[in-house]
Amino acid sequence: MSGDEMIFDPNMTKKKKKKKKPFMLDEDGGDGLAGEEAKEVETKEVEPEGGDDKELDLDEDEGRKKEPSDDLDDLNFFNQKKKKKKPKKVFDNDIEEGIKELKIEGEQTEAMEEDDLDLMLPAKKKKSKKVDFEEGEVLEKDDALEDDEGKNNDGISFSSSTGPAWAGSERDYTYDELLNRVFNIMREKNPDMVAGEKRKFVMKPPQVVRVGTKKTSFVNFTDICKLLHRQPKHLLAFLLAELGTSGSIDGNNQLVIKGRFQQKQIENVLRRYIKEYVTCHTCRSPDTILQKDTRLYFLQCETCHSRCSVASIKTGFQAVTGKRAQLRAKAN
Amino acid sequence: MSGIQNLQTFDPFADATKGDDRLPAGTEDYIHIRIQQRNGRKTLTTVQGISADYDKKKLVKAFKKKFACNGTVIEHPEYGEVIQLQGDQRKNICQFLIDIDLAKEEQLKVHGF
Repeated sequence: MSGDEMIFDPNMTKKKKKKKKPFMLDEDGGDGLAGEEAKEVETKEVEPEGGDDKELDLDEDEGRKKEPSDDLDDLNFFNQKKKKKKPKKVFDNDIEEGIKELKIEGEQTEAMEEDDLDLMLPAKKKKSKKVDFEEGEVLEKDDALEDDEGKNNDGISFSSSTGPAWAGSERDYTYDELLNRVFNIMREKNPDMVAGEKRKFVMKPPQVVRVGTKKTSFVNFTDICKLLHRQPKHLLAFLLAELGTSGSIDGNNQLVIKGRFQQKQIENVLRRYIKEYVTCHTCRSPDTILQKDTRLYFLQCETCHSRCSVASIKTGFQAVTGKRAQLRAKAN
Repeated sequence: MSGIQNLQTFDPFADATKGDDRLPAGTEDYIHIRIQQRNGRKTLTTVQGISADYDKKKLVKAFKKKFACNGTVIEHPEYGEVIQLQGDQRKNICQFLIDIDLAKEEQLKVHGF
């Protein structure tokens, strides 16, 4: 990794500049909304009976569930592209699935309207279904869950569907399904939560410039410190410890680091810093204060008022990379 | 007297307790994997914090063979024995340590860019 990237090449930086502007808006959110709307339209067409909505939400959840897992991706530096695609794709699939299901259900419901309500047979599956119905067991369930009849049918006929599948089958519900259900209910009850859950921490990208051949300058170092509400000293110590080099702040408040580093690499380190020393470990809000108490650093959250200690910065073992003769000369 | 096995001074369970508390490589402290830049595009990887139960020399031997790089064990007064390898072997080392069950993923702390 480092080997290749460490060579400075001007093309790289140019490319990055191009990428810089349009990103940071969370695609997922936008698409998610669009998808929701689309779904709502769909559901309206179909005239759903209770169960349908829930099922859709479930599908959506599965798409969403993948987002918060990667904390680090939330801190995005404008020009970050990488992982965005993945959850979206999953989501799309889910939408398609959902729509497909819906369509099939739509057919069912239409059929239902034509048929007597007691029968509730899907038009297409009529023949295969009839057998099921005669078995009595299913009928029993239908009686119990009169209102979400459609879903019930669905559970039986499309076993691959991701809905609250336990409703129709004999098997017990799984933990995941219950979890999904709880989150659905939570979302229904207080919609604000949804916004709070996928908060993104957007930050200025660090400006990293090469100074000569062996040094790197981090131009907006103090700006970033201010943005994060952290002492430059603390961030400096972290950066130098992580990168395993030495460096100092020069007259123009730039940080000059020994060694060749690219913006991407500094970003990675910054991201780690933010995760460890800026965002609250409980609620992940960046609105925190770092205090020093009896030699330990504590992170005090201004949003949820939690307080937890954070690891101290340690340089650890440093190998000898310079010339040994020089070291010896210095020692004497 | 010494012919009777029960009366021998050798205790077959002497090292049993040691085995008990030997969760894979000292669970509470991390194994730090760091990278350092050298001249040009050369780098060094250091592995600090592997528990004393493991023979670092043998580990280095395996590393060297597996990753096709040179390496050495350095005795440090504070950090103990530290493995030092040539080149950026961070990913390789993580993979290797997890594969041989020397450490779990959450124990490894990779530093550097």
